[in-house]
Amino acid sequence: MSVNTISKDRFKQFVEALIQSDQRVVGVQARGDRFVFDDLKAADALRLDYDVTILSPRKYVLPPKEPLLKFDGRASYESLQESEPMVLLGVHPYDMAAINQMDLLFSQDEYDNHYMCRRKKMTIIACDVATPSENVFAASMGTATVDSGYDMLLTDIGDAYVVEAATDNGKALMNLMPDARPASEADIEKRQAVWKKNEHDLNKHMLECKPSFLPKLLEKNYDHPVWEEKARLCYSCGSCNQVCPTCYCFDVQDEVNWDLKTGVRYRAWDGCLLQDFATVAGDHNFRKDRAARFRHRLYRKGKYVPGKIGGQIACVGCGRCITACTAKIANPVDVYNQLMERTDIG
Amino acid sequence: MSKPRVAIFDFACCEGCQLQIVNLEEEIIDLVGAVDVVEWREAMSEQSHEYDIAIVEGSITRPEDEHRLQIIRSRAKILIALGACATIGGVNKMKNNFDLNEVKRCVYGKDAEMPHLATTTTRALHEVVDVDFKIHGCPINGEEFKQVVRDLLLGKKPVIPTYPVCVECKAKENVCRYEYDEICLGPIIRAGCGAPCPSAGWRCFGCRGLVDNPNVDAAKEVMEKYNLTVDDLKQKMVLFNSK
Repeated sequence: MSVNTISKDRFKQFVEALIQSDQRVVGVQARGDRFVFDDLKAADALRLDYDVTILSPRKYVLPPKEPLLKFDGRASYESLQESEPMVLLGVHPYDMAAINQMDLLFSQDEYDNHYMCRRKKMTIIACDVATPSENVFAASMGTATVDSGYDMLLTDIGDAYVVEAATDNGKALMNLMPDARPASEADIEKRQAVWKKNEHDLNKHMLECKPSFLPKLLEKNYDHPVWEEKARLCYSCGSCNQVCPTCYCFDVQDEVNWDLKTGVRYRAWDGCLLQDFATVAGDHNFRKDRAARFRHRLYRKGKYVPGKIGGQIACVGCGRCITACTAKIANPVDVYNQLMERTDIG
Repeated sequence: MSKPRVAIFDFACCEGCQLQIVNLEEEIIDLVGAVDVVEWREAMSEQSHEYDIAIVEGSITRPEDEHRLQIIRSRAKILIALGACATIGGVNKMKNNFDLNEVKRCVYGKDAEMPHLATTTTRALHEVVDVDFKIHGCPINGEEFKQVVRDLLLGKKPVIPTYPVCVECKAKENVCRYEYDEICLGPIIRAGCGAPCPSAGWRCFGCRGLVDNPNVDAAKEVMEKYNLTVDDLKQKMVLFNSK
């Protein structure tokens, strides 16, 4: 690990050089009154002062619709894999934590070649949050800062960035920053101050327990009235799933060509709040009720997925679902706190 | 196996959904290669009483239309409703909100009493005969049409979304209209269109009809969160989703 400092002017030159390189560069940009990750065409368009993006960088790690294989209608098929090197520029710590979790999930059990191939060709430049969004609660979930997964980490310290190169990829990128100099002690202290501030500020909704307590809390509350109370207003629109950085469920479908023999099998994002998410052969739906689907999402985040990845809670506190939910019922902190209030913790 | 015979018919509509089929351009060749089109007034002069699949555009507004649709149903193994007029009645159902005689006089003036203009309450196809599949939208989405036809040719049940437009709208990274305190029908209307209207800065107008299980009970409370009323919502439903 090497830690350097680069002035904001010089950093812009680095971004320009990166765009000119042969890699695809995706960075955070303004769209209307919000921010999105999109292909970066000019250094001036990059907005590292953003609060939160509408969709998380999941859309690059696990694309909304991804071809898996080509078939020819006989016994053979050809696996399709994307192989484009890509730099993701401006990933916030909570989103980095979500990608770290997904890396674990897609490499365990059935190793997912499609996902892992793409990930291996991806360079991630993370950046600490400079502007807290209105619904962020990363500090409650332990993701206000992050210490792994990225190739490079940027921290805005006023007129300069502290740049930490954490991997060989990150160190190679340092070659595009000839003007960077080793970070001074004062710069390192400024970075610490940003981290400390974010541990405090990124907490617009405060979880009233340690995240590590959530699996136990949920275990006791499968039949709690809060599921029905909240889901009563649920449109089953899956907006909470769509914007979530840790939702990774997908549906697999075939698209057949006009010869009715050849075609492509692809996977596309699915969402556990959608009415037919749990519909199986014979049209049986084992999660018919809104409340059961509403509960399932919060169990996935707080109990089921943590059980697969060493206890890490699969909600990183980005707050996107709170903003995206039309009925205003999706706030995980609100639900978990209500469970806390009415549970004898013992 | 011989190719299935397909006939395309229309009732009260603008024929714009058939036009979407014509708009498939070079893929029309693929389509007519995969099926045997035996009748299609908009695109050819031949007619036939023998077909396997009937694709029907438009809604039913006259007694003679009802009779003709029943005959089509009796001849077809599979009947597909094409476009909003056929699947939900669409804009044609707006007239059901008024006195029918007044509507006739307003639209046809001195010709209102001509026998071929003796229209009645507008109905979607499924309100008259059994419909096997619905291809929704005003107009239909050409990609969805192609997929449904190919699935049927394979003997597969076509995948028509049961979830609301929000799914596709969020994927396009649109900001929800409700965040600006504006009504949008997206949360209760069937997806499959790719949310072109909200993506262009409009609201969802509801042309694909309600999802199978819309949460109508939530409307009052949710509208209040945005300083809107159920009446505001109902007004926006009139265009495509009148009863």
